[in-house]
Amino acid sequence: MRPLRRWLHRAFSLARRGEREERLRTEIEDHIARQTAENVRAGLDAAEARRQAILKFGPVESVREEYRDRGGLPLIETLARDVRYAARRLRKSPVFTTTAVLTLALGIGATTAIFTLAWAVLLKSLAVARPEELLRLGKEARCCFWGGYSQDKEYSLVSYELYQRFRDNTKGFSQLAAFSASQPLFGARRVGAQEPAGSYPGEFVSGNYFATFGVRAYAGRVLAPEDDRPGAPPAAMMSYRLWRDRYGADPSVVGATFNLNQKPFTLVGITPPGFFGETLRSNAPDFFLPLNTEPLAEADTDLYTPNNNWLELIGRMRRGAAPPSIEAEMRIELKQWLLSHWGDMGSIDRAKFPRQTLYLEPGGAGISAMREEYEQWLEILLGASGFTLLVVAANLAGLMLVRGLEQRRQVSLSMALGARASRMVRQAMAESLLLSALGGAAGLLVAYAGASLIMRFVFPAPDGRSAVPIDAAPSLPVLGFALGISLITGFCFGIAPAWMATRVDPIEALRGSGRSTALAGSRSRKALVVLQAALSVVLLSASGLLLAALHNLENEDFGFEPQGRIVAHIDPKLAGYSGDRLTLFYRSVQDSLAKMPEVDKVALCTYSPLGGNFWGAGIWIDGRPGSGTGGGVSAAWDRATPGYLSAIGNPILRGRGIAERDTQGSRHVAVVNEAFARKYFPNEDPIGKYFGQHGVESAREYEIVGITKNARYFHQELGEQSFPFFLLPEAQHDFVPGKASMDANPGSHILHDIVIAPRRGATLSIGRIRQAIAAADPDLPVISIRTLRAQVGDQFLQQRLIARLTSFFGLLALVLSCISVYGAMAWNVGARTAEIGVRMALGADGRSVLALVLRGVFTLVGAGLAIGLALTFLSGRFLKTQLYGLNPNDPVALLMAVGTLGLFAIAASLIPAVRATRISPQQALRAE
Amino acid sequence: MEQKKSDVQQGTLALMALKTLDVLGPLHGYGIARRIEQISGELLSVNQGTLYPVLLKLEQEGAIASEWGASENNRKARFYRLTRAGRKRLDAETRGWEQTAAIMARFFTAKAEDYQ
Repeated sequence: MRPLRRWLHRAFSLARRGEREERLRTEIEDHIARQTAENVRAGLDAAEARRQAILKFGPVESVREEYRDRGGLPLIETLARDVRYAARRLRKSPVFTTTAVLTLALGIGATTAIFTLAWAVLLKSLAVARPEELLRLGKEARCCFWGGYSQDKEYSLVSYELYQRFRDNTKGFSQLAAFSASQPLFGARRVGAQEPAGSYPGEFVSGNYFATFGVRAYAGRVLAPEDDRPGAPPAAMMSYRLWRDRYGADPSVVGATFNLNQKPFTLVGITPPGFFGETLRSNAPDFFLPLNTEPLAEADTDLYTPNNNWLELIGRMRRGAAPPSIEAEMRIELKQWLLSHWGDMGSIDRAKFPRQTLYLEPGGAGISAMREEYEQWLEILLGASGFTLLVVAANLAGLMLVRGLEQRRQVSLSMALGARASRMVRQAMAESLLLSALGGAAGLLVAYAGASLIMRFVFPAPDGRSAVPIDAAPSLPVLGFALGISLITGFCFGIAPAWMATRVDPIEALRGSGRSTALAGSRSRKALVVLQAALSVVLLSASGLLLAALHNLENEDFGFEPQGRIVAHIDPKLAGYSGDRLTLFYRSVQDSLAKMPEVDKVALCTYSPLGGNFWGAGIWIDGRPGSGTGGGVSAAWDRATPGYLSAIGNPILRGRGIAERDTQGSRHVAVVNEAFARKYFPNEDPIGKYFGQHGVESAREYEIVGITKNARYFHQELGEQSFPFFLLPEAQHDFVPGKASMDANPGSHILHDIVIAPRRGATLSIGRIRQAIAAADPDLPVISIRTLRAQVGDQFLQQRLIARLTSFFGLLALVLSCISVYGAMAWNVGARTAEIGVRMALGADGRSVLALVLRGVFTLVGAGLAIGLALTFLSGRFLKTQLYGLNPNDPVALLMAVGTLGLFAIAASLIPAVRATRISPQQALRAE
Repeated sequence: MEQKKSDVQQGTLALMALKTLDVLGPLHGYGIARRIEQISGELLSVNQGTLYPVLLKLEQEGAIASEWGASENNRKARFYRLTRAGRKRLDAETRGWEQTAAIMARFFTAKAEDYQ
């Protein structure tokens, strides 16, 4: 009990520190007065009596010190005193303090900003109950559809039938939810409201989806298994984000009827604010619809086709269940289910059957599409910002060393007077840590601003709505991270000066001149300069390499002509078009735009190149029974109206493109690209050959009538050989073999993009385009209009951001290194004034003095460059694996980096060098 | 070694202060110092100030309590008194000392034949 009581007493008396000191003072006074009186009684005179009394009392200071140590908590108290002392010293040199804090704020802020993003994208768990119990199917995210009864590597997408089998038979899961792997856009309008239809991302989810996540409705109720049955009244949930942004959180929305893709749905509830679906992505769903409404809303048959794999799974483990046993259970179910479809499987599917397996992964962080997409970028950026922080720390260490040298005499005086070395070290550390804490606090502001800025840049908000479900505001982990790296940084740059403080010889203070201090610590400073130069070279080279790669990406031959083209994004579904009316409607849109004198060519297509979407299909080539999805024979494809290839600027190499004569009644045709021709018809002329995409029976569906140059349609293609690709006329509908009336691909006839090629020299305003489209149908919403160049550029948004941020880090490092070089050289020249004076007195001229100083710079910077280049080759190899089109040995980028740093370093050292040549020998010697 | 010596000294000083308060009743710091000086001789003839941290420590441990009072010359003075816990501690430590002292005394008076 006693130690505790003493501690409490001390803690309490810490608060009354002043009172206690006052008490001791009074007691001492009283004591001395009494002793004095006693001495006077003994016959001494008043002055001598007091002197004797004081002598007898002993050293007041040490009593006071001991008294202090007894009271309060000595550790905290000395810490507080050290910090106060450090603060006073920092206040006395405002320029140094401001520079240091700003530098630190930039370094810590940049790193923290990147960490904020990395935390949100890579590490944060879903806003759901007990995320650690969630498991998802599939090791890698796979988008978004897989046909057939076999999947490469792992079975990660499932059909509705297979989902039901897993759900009903897997005992290890208390709940197993399914949701669509793609994010369909829904045209949505509140029934009875005077509002135009909007187009919003949505998701089909199983009835137990919200129960699986343990998510409750913010308003109304969540979707339940009863909503997800054939024939149940169509119900939907809306995201909190849309409810707030679009409907002002109007409570009457709950229970209202909404037309989704022209079909009435009752809106039963609002999802909670922190819930963005199971996947963290930039276009989080705004509507959640039960799986069983998919045939209604999409007007197709995905739900009922057992080999249409379009669902992803996430499940909640039963208490006590182990993931490996659930995995084993599901693998058996998968095999059994596949065997039950043995009759439907092709020979390839059957051949692949033994290798079919599946994997479960922790699902707490969701299936983060963003994570897959941004992971490597964030890693690069974290690396770059980390390097920058190192440069910052090295720079500050240099500054602190100088400060340490300046305070050396003071330190040695203190030590001569009996201060303990540990106390001196503590003081030096207190100053560094205080600086880094200040820098960290300022850095949080920088981080907040930086993270918001980056986010706005990477994930632009669609029409003013809050887009990304990521909060830039610092959360607890971010604050912890900032505090942590501040302390580590402070420790790193404070350790050297603190160590130096312990090596001070008290005699130095007495010697006075401080002559021997001049060169002390210069070796550490030189090492710091070398380190900074090396790190700066790495950063500069990395940014050079990234910029070069970006330049290559943006200016490669896409196979089409991005310059001058404009793409208008529409959704005819939202205006209620479907089936046969579509072709006429596209005709009228095309005519209305073509009538404008500014327009040269115009055409519509399902998806224009590099817009982020495409269709893929397995194909069956006439006369080759082994082809199709099971045989790995597949291609990407698109539909378009006549004149599309010339509108997009994709040259036709042989044959013809889509033309007016290709109608539903005429021979069904396809135009293929070179890659298609080379891959599937390596030794023959593909023109006049046939293929189809709906099984062996459809192999004579399309006749190949033309070959185009390879065009880059998809981002995924970058850095790889072009995919085989074919283009079909919009006017020709394919039917499911054997069912002459069932459109096999109704969705592909919904053309989303209008491509407009203006006449040479003409300018075409967005307003004019809108007018022309409205003339065809005033009710058709135009979702966006932008240049094809911008659409292409958007594909490189992240690359550009990475390149820019890395350049920013590189520049920051460059500036800091130059400051260090300048500081080191100025110090060096100052310290060698006498030596240079003597040299000049002995006949050295200005040039040889200049050479003397610059030689020092060359040695330092040269060493830094050499180390930096070695590091660059290492990091370049890493970058190369991360980024297509990056040449890690790009001589231009490397030379630029080395040259820039070298030039700036020499420029920075010129001022001290020139100052050295101005030293007059007399002055130098007199100063001694 | 030096540290040890001062520890012993502080321990004895604390015990002496407790005994003084036990015998003389509530007393100010100077009074305690004088008394110890008178009885122990040289222990507090110099460095009387060292008594004050010891008093603070005793107070923190609850062995003594203190309060402000006016002394005879009308000066503000701090008066210390023994608490119940302090008295217990004094008794215990006195016994301890007596035992130690008795044992040591026997040791020092022992003659060579006692070791046979």
